[in-house]
Amino acid sequence: MDLLIDSFLSAFLLVISMDAEMVAIIGVSLKVSCASTALASMIGVPLGFGIAFGRFAGKRMTITLLNTMLALPTVVIGLFVYAFISRRGIFGPIDLLYTQHAIIIGQVILIIPVIGAFTIAAISRIDERYRQTARTLGANRRQTAWVVFREARFGIVAAIVAAFGRVISEIGISMMLGGNIRGFTRTMTTAMALEYDKGSFVLAVALGIVLLGLSFGMNLLFHFFQGRVQSQ
Amino acid sequence: MIYKISDLIKIYGSRTVLDIPVLEIEKEQIYALLGANGAGKTTLLNILGLLEAPTAGQIQYRSRSVNYSESALQALRKEIVLVNQHPILFTTTVFKNLEFGLKIRKIDKKERVRIIDESLNLVGMREFSNAPAQHLSGGETQRVAIARALALSPRVFLCDEPTSSVDVENQNIIITILRRINEIKKISVLFTTHDRSQAARLANHTIVLNQGRLVPTMYENIFRGFLQTDPSGQPRCVIQDKIHLSIMEDQVIEKREAASVFIDPEKIVPLKPSEDPSTANVLQGRVVQMIEENGKVRIVVDAGVWVALLISKKRYQKIGFMVGETISLSIPPEAIHLI
Repeated sequence: MDLLIDSFLSAFLLVISMDAEMVAIIGVSLKVSCASTALASMIGVPLGFGIAFGRFAGKRMTITLLNTMLALPTVVIGLFVYAFISRRGIFGPIDLLYTQHAIIIGQVILIIPVIGAFTIAAISRIDERYRQTARTLGANRRQTAWVVFREARFGIVAAIVAAFGRVISEIGISMMLGGNIRGFTRTMTTAMALEYDKGSFVLAVALGIVLLGLSFGMNLLFHFFQGRVQSQ
Repeated sequence: MIYKISDLIKIYGSRTVLDIPVLEIEKEQIYALLGANGAGKTTLLNILGLLEAPTAGQIQYRSRSVNYSESALQALRKEIVLVNQHPILFTTTVFKNLEFGLKIRKIDKKERVRIIDESLNLVGMREFSNAPAQHLSGGETQRVAIARALALSPRVFLCDEPTSSVDVENQNIIITILRRINEIKKISVLFTTHDRSQAARLANHTIVLNQGRLVPTMYENIFRGFLQTDPSGQPRCVIQDKIHLSIMEDQVIEKREAASVFIDPEKIVPLKPSEDPSTANVLQGRVVQMIEENGKVRIVVDAGVWVALLISKKRYQKIGFMVGETISLSIPPEAIHLI
């Protein structure tokens, strides 16, 4: 019990004192997560929008596949990407393994289904009358699509926030593709795992507190945007 | 002629919701489209608004066949605007809602401001210009939706049940707006309604739909019943198990039990207390409504079912009954049509 209390107290002090190593780890985590969320948004939002807005054969199956990919374990993605970027892989010569880029690639694969599926849900919730109203006011397909996108904007932002929450807290991809290299690919989750292995809880708990704080902030944002969707 | 419809059929799944052999709509007129729920009014409005394509048949708009390619439709839609029964406003300000269609038409900013101001003024919503659209009441939303459509100066204005979901005050405002835009801007107006008297007050022409087909009636006096033969072998129609009306033999062209009948309001004869009926079809009922309509008097009588009749003013003055009085109605078999 004393260990836990002592660890928490020391961790709080570490957080308050903005320990340099802790700040560096948080910096890597935020940088990698922001980059992967931005990239995945650029792919996932148009993908989800296209699926939701379009009319094509196999639409239902595509949505089912996307929903299935929501449950993709991070270690499976890690393994899959590793096969491509390891020295013996197709992209081996590019030397991506154990870099931040490698983590970003894995995380992008992880959250494209999240953003895509949530975007589909956000677009599908938009009343059909918006589309009809835009058309009767003279809008072409592109302008009609923009109206629907605009009406779904809070839902789409909520999808992006949820995706960021997913990548900031994942460990499998960061560990397998980043290699947990100090000051370079060590993220909050990989650092916590390492500290645990060492039996040193202070930094792990401090990072846990920061991670929880970030997750809480993400959830607040998510519910704020979800609330905006419902109040529309 | 603004529209000419020939052999129009619309099928959803296995159900034919519209079957209209011919329908012509003149320009710069007000048309009321009457019919019960599910009669096909909204579907017809969507087809006229070029938001849906018919399953079969041809539609001519301003003497040209409608080409259902997206680019051709988009050009035509700039002349035809439809306002839904429950219109939806974009989640932005009232001003930006009106600006949407004008921006699409590439109208410059100064002109847009002028048109929006004028349109909002027309519907009495000028002071709401900067208000968030989603905070408006039902009646206000309806008025803004009408203003948004009118700002585009359409040739045709289609309105689905414009007054069904608003209070009486807003109903009167909307009716006045529809009349004014037709008179001043010469916009052709076609609106759907359940309200027979509203159609009579506002429209130059009335189109009545029953189960997807045009009926040459005035919507009222359509009853569902069943056919049987009376003891003397004469066919008759029984409405709501209590009203038995003899019908012409040539009306029964096929053996069926369930039937819809239409009673021509102009052929129903109100009787003076001393007058003998010329037919066996006599109903008694209480007068519940009387209005003047196109130089005649429309009377609605509650005779177990509501029956409307249209008589000359002369005939009305001769009999001279009041609302609330009980009168007898003589319904000759030739006034009853199986539909």
